[in-house]
Amino acid sequence: MSETATKKRVPVKRWIILGLIALGIYAAFLGPTYLRPVAPVVVLPSEPTGISIFGFEITNTILATLLADIVLLLLAFNAWRFAKSGNLVPSGVHNFFEMLVEAFWNMAEGSAGKWAKRFFPITGTIFLLVFTANMIKLVPGFESIGRIAESPHGEGYAPIQILPGLYSIDKGKPVHLEHTESEGETHAVEGEVAGSPCTACEIIPFLRGSATDLNFTLALAVVTVVMVQVFGVMAMGPGYFEKFLQFRRLVNGGPFGIIDFLVGFLEIILEFAKIISFTFRLFGNIFAGALLLSIIGALTAVAIPAGLYIFEVFFGIIQAYVFSLLALVFMSQAVAGHHGGEAEGAEAH
Amino acid sequence: MTGDIVEAMRLLGAGLAMLGAIGAGVGVGLAAAGGVQAMGRNPDAAPIIQTNMILGMAFAEAVAIYALAVALIIIFAA
Repeated sequence: MSETATKKRVPVKRWIILGLIALGIYAAFLGPTYLRPVAPVVVLPSEPTGISIFGFEITNTILATLLADIVLLLLAFNAWRFAKSGNLVPSGVHNFFEMLVEAFWNMAEGSAGKWAKRFFPITGTIFLLVFTANMIKLVPGFESIGRIAESPHGEGYAPIQILPGLYSIDKGKPVHLEHTESEGETHAVEGEVAGSPCTACEIIPFLRGSATDLNFTLALAVVTVVMVQVFGVMAMGPGYFEKFLQFRRLVNGGPFGIIDFLVGFLEIILEFAKIISFTFRLFGNIFAGALLLSIIGALTAVAIPAGLYIFEVFFGIIQAYVFSLLALVFMSQAVAGHHGGEAEGAEAH
Repeated sequence: MTGDIVEAMRLLGAGLAMLGAIGAGVGVGLAAAGGVQAMGRNPDAAPIIQTNMILGMAFAEAVAIYALAVALIIIFAA
């Protein structure tokens, strides 16, 4: 029974995969030089795409974030329409949404109790945004399609025209602008692309992963930490700030009161450390991942990057989860107050 | 020439700053080891252990993140 079933199946997919691998080998090692992988350029700040709205310049990471937002809005609209339809059995993408909402609701309720209703929208939004931004970053075309421009370092590649108005960079011809003779040489060789926009070129991508920009992660971190303070005040009123300025302990705490008062300053520093660690955790992981992909892609172009892509998917999920989980834990700590910590400190002394 | 030496020293310093990642690596490994051991002994508590394990890993990782921040500052800002 199973014998015939396996015999009937036509092995199409393996031929497709083998064909793709052969295509990859051709492009990376045998084909024209403009198809070859390029050594990565480490660029920390996001680059402008040339689009600007009301004088506000849209950088490539903003564009990617907007794209992630649009995808999320479409998914949310889809889920909302499904919820409206009255159909109780979800399928496909709705199933995924139900699983996600259920998991996050349980997580929020498990650690925050009655505050879960307030925390859940924030942690859920953070997870969905970071997750979508990290997944959308892995789509081919990100960080590779862009406009061609003069390299600011004077080290780039010669341009090559694929179609009229459509250029690529020729990885076989690196150009260093310091040496004027090599510049003249490339001009002589590339006679037909005399109208090209630059001599030592690099590609400035239209789309770059949102989390490879510090602004994106810093904005999320600041929002999260500010919301932690807001929830703390909502739960305990102005008494929340006693955690930072422990005047009461200073007055009636004796010699240990002074220590507690100084610990309050440490708490203030800790709030800023939260912002820093939130920011750099997400940024560091995603930026290092993007860098790793491009470096390994330049070294071994064919098989290994596919495995690393799986790794990147995994890291994207984990980082989104860690970000929202930490936000939830900090918020729960803020509303739970510092009485437990104080009692612990008293016991220790 | 001196500019080249300063540049080289800066890159060396950035590399040395990332030595801080050693401790974070050990910490994350210990957290994972403890978590897996606990899950092996008490599989029913796996979800709670997993959540706390990931939390602990995130905090252990923070040290490496500070090292990364220092390295990036040395390379790009200083």
